[in-house]
Amino acid sequence: MELLIVLIPALPLAGFLFAVLVGPRLDRVPVHGHAEHGEESHADAAHGDAGAADHDAVDESGFRPIPSEEEQAATSPHAGHADDLANSNGADGVIPPELNDGLGQAGHVTEDGPQPVYRSWIVPVGLVGLSWIFSMFVFAGVVFGGNEYHVTLYEWIGSGDFRIDIAFTVDSLTAMLLLVVSTVGLLVHVYSIGYMNRDRGFWRFFAYLNLFMFSMLLLILGDNFLLLYVGWEAVGLCSYLLIGYWYKKPSAAGAAKKAFVVNRIGDFGFGLGVILIWVNLGTLSFREVFEQIGTLEGGTVTLIALLLFAGAVGKSAQFPLHVWLPDAMEGPTPVSALIHAATMVNAGVYLVARANPIFAESPAAMWVVAGIGVFTAIFAAAIALTQNDIKKVLAYSTVSQLAYMFFALGIGAWVAAIFHLVSHGFFKGLLFMGSGSVIHGAAGEQDIRFLGGMRERMRWTYRTMVVGSLALAGIPIFAGFFSKDEILAEAFNRGYYLFYVIGVVVAFMTAFYTFRMIYLTFHGRWRGGRDVFRQIHESAPTMVAPLVILAVPTILAGLLLGIPPEGGLIHGWLEEVFAHSEAAGVLPGSLAAGEHHGFELLGIGGLLLLVGASAGAAGIWLAYRWYVLDPEAPKRFVQRIPFGLGPGMYAASVNKYYVDDVYQLVFARGGVLLANALWWFDAKVIDGAVNGIAWIAQRLGGLLRKVQTGRVENYGLGMAAGLVLVLIAYLVIRP
Amino acid sequence: MTLRNIIHSAIAMMVCFGALAGMYALLGAPIVAAAQVLIYLGAISVLILFAIMLTQAGDANLPAPFHRQVWLAALAALLIVGLIGWGAVSTDWGAAAATVAVDLNAIAAALFTDYALPLEIVSLLLLAAIIGAIFLARRPEEDERAN
Amino acid sequence: MGLASYLIVSTLLFGIGAFGFLARRNAILMLISIELMLNSVNLSLVAFNAYIPEAQNAGALFALLVMAVAAAEATVGLALVIAIIRTRQTAEVDAYSDLKE
Repeated sequence: MELLIVLIPALPLAGFLFAVLVGPRLDRVPVHGHAEHGEESHADAAHGDAGAADHDAVDESGFRPIPSEEEQAATSPHAGHADDLANSNGADGVIPPELNDGLGQAGHVTEDGPQPVYRSWIVPVGLVGLSWIFSMFVFAGVVFGGNEYHVTLYEWIGSGDFRIDIAFTVDSLTAMLLLVVSTVGLLVHVYSIGYMNRDRGFWRFFAYLNLFMFSMLLLILGDNFLLLYVGWEAVGLCSYLLIGYWYKKPSAAGAAKKAFVVNRIGDFGFGLGVILIWVNLGTLSFREVFEQIGTLEGGTVTLIALLLFAGAVGKSAQFPLHVWLPDAMEGPTPVSALIHAATMVNAGVYLVARANPIFAESPAAMWVVAGIGVFTAIFAAAIALTQNDIKKVLAYSTVSQLAYMFFALGIGAWVAAIFHLVSHGFFKGLLFMGSGSVIHGAAGEQDIRFLGGMRERMRWTYRTMVVGSLALAGIPIFAGFFSKDEILAEAFNRGYYLFYVIGVVVAFMTAFYTFRMIYLTFHGRWRGGRDVFRQIHESAPTMVAPLVILAVPTILAGLLLGIPPEGGLIHGWLEEVFAHSEAAGVLPGSLAAGEHHGFELLGIGGLLLLVGASAGAAGIWLAYRWYVLDPEAPKRFVQRIPFGLGPGMYAASVNKYYVDDVYQLVFARGGVLLANALWWFDAKVIDGAVNGIAWIAQRLGGLLRKVQTGRVENYGLGMAAGLVLVLIAYLVIRP
Repeated sequence: MTLRNIIHSAIAMMVCFGALAGMYALLGAPIVAAAQVLIYLGAISVLILFAIMLTQAGDANLPAPFHRQVWLAALAALLIVGLIGWGAVSTDWGAAAATVAVDLNAIAAALFTDYALPLEIVSLLLLAAIIGAIFLARRPEEDERAN
Repeated sequence: MGLASYLIVSTLLFGIGAFGFLARRNAILMLISIELMLNSVNLSLVAFNAYIPEAQNAGALFALLVMAVAAAEATVGLALVIAIIRTRQTAEVDAYSDLKE
């Protein structure tokens, strides 16, 4: 078993190396792609180049521009001379952005000429598959066998008292995350085979995906803070690489940079926290740290906890470091599904959950976690209400759901948070991949204002996405219901009544915007271009199969794991991990503080369930009314908001409440101003001082050299003066 | 020193030397007086007059003006005089009341015994001075060769 | 007459010589001033010799040596001056400023 544990991260690492070293040689991508329709739709001259210009991207505020005459002409088959610079061994030629398209256009375009052949996926996907199998073994061993595994590979750092081993620990918390990460990871790999199959950089994608799997697995398997930090940074790197996968597109490159920088801000805090732990406790191993954490005084523990949480805020995109996640939608959809729904963003939740003994010692830190969680939840939901890009809706939804998890962690509902993490990983991954399928089918269109009526043409996508959306909205039976309701119930039971109310409101909003998206995409009439409509088709099996596979746990996970509430399987599994922190976060005077009645279907527990479910149902009903029955209703509603605030509120929501603009102003422009001021200081004051000294020396020299007249009489006078001085010194002063 | 005409200054200098010779005699050092007359009045003054003549071809009445720094010079000279004079006057030299005459035999003896080295060195110095003066003051060779 | 009087005379002579050296423009006049200064020193030496018996004629002897040195120096100095005046056609020391900065 120990060997399996070591292999779980090692296999994707090997896959990465394989993909990098051998991958390029395995693909054969032809120089000329398929023929162009002279369509008004986006120019999709898919020569299979990497670095695609995503013509389909629409900015939030406007309509998608119809490609101009030159753009259409440029992408016609006759404009192919630029391909001469391209070569077919996978390296990127100097292709103008308009000619690059990374989206797979599988099947719908007639092809003349050779088809691309992709073989570089076989080994990476195979290795990840193998890693998944091992993960399942380990999961079963931990969860059903009740074991806890510990594998030490070797001593990495041994420097005096400081000792760090490369060691893996698998307890039930890690096992739960293994389940999510491995499963969704494997499905995304399979999905990508189809999704990326017109892309020139195919092998590169799988290389990065494998590297990411390795990093994430390292993160959750590590048994000390340093290994966690290594994995943490590495997933940040992979996020950068993958978001900026189409690196020739400026917005993608910028988004990648933004993700990395914002992440880094959080990582800085995290790093400080780790250093503080080391300084105070002398060890970074989880077991030892958690044993000794009680010996530190409250202020230190709070500081450590807050710093660790800062890292989580960055990695899991909570306010105020949430700004990178929506922009990260520039990456290919599998990336969004994997990293930004199911795995990387969970790292923050994992960190706080893993460090629960630290947080349990610090009520102040827990309040901060819960507060930020609740605020981010409603903040992100408020933005998601008005977004028009499918992926952006899902991105903000992710931020909001992650906020739910932090909310749960902050109030001490550890198991509920992890439960929600697991179920969210499944259904959000499903939703993202489904949205990718939609985009694929709509030939690149992402704006839901230009979709509609797709459910007849894309049956399986539609069905699975509805399943995912029901889960997200918290409808009973589906996974999201159990996990979300448990969080809300814990909030109520532990005495956080205000947060509970906010949580219910957010549940309503979540259901609303999710089904707004569904209705606008799949119901009603098609609102896009006619030619695009003609070719809408269901996606390839490699893309649909993961959707169906994920729908299964979406439906069943809640039932399997969470029934009965507070007593289900998952509670039993995770009990030991959180054993010491169960009491943390319970407010005095709340239900949980008194005698613990356990869950009563006909009592408070059942009532709370009902409230949660109703909120979800109400959201769906409102979305139905406004987007299926009566499309003009939203506008009227906005007009009717008192004090004429409606349009302003709408604009604020669409513009993400101007957070990005504030950051741009304060940090970017402010940074530039500061840099200019410092430059001025350096050039004028410091250089001025240095130059000033030189200037003084020059002037002084200029003056002094006039003493040398070359004339004897002047020198004689000098001598006489000296003589006078000597005489004075000896005769008058008489030393 | 304030005479305008350089020849007049040279003549005044000679008169001064003569007076000094008289003073030496009064101080009971006739040998020094004799040496003064011989050397200064006989040699150096003549030398100076020759130099004046050689360099003032046809212009013996050339005025000798003052510098711009004459006032500073006067100040410096005054200060020097004042300080040295005051120092000299206010020091108790332990002087005897009357003068002591110089014993010529003693000087001669000392000159060739105790002070033999300085004597020799001075003679070397004079030799060097002669050679140097001859070399420095000769006419430029090129003119003669060109001619 | 007293030692002090001779010393005063000597000092005055020195001052006059110094003034002449510093204030005159003609090179030969400067040399004359130098001779004057040397003579003043001689005078003071002989005066000391006369009024301080312990000196044992050292003053007079030294005065003789000074005279010899003065003669040598006058010789060389005048030779220099002659050479310079020949090349520059002027006796004014203001013109001898080739070594200026």
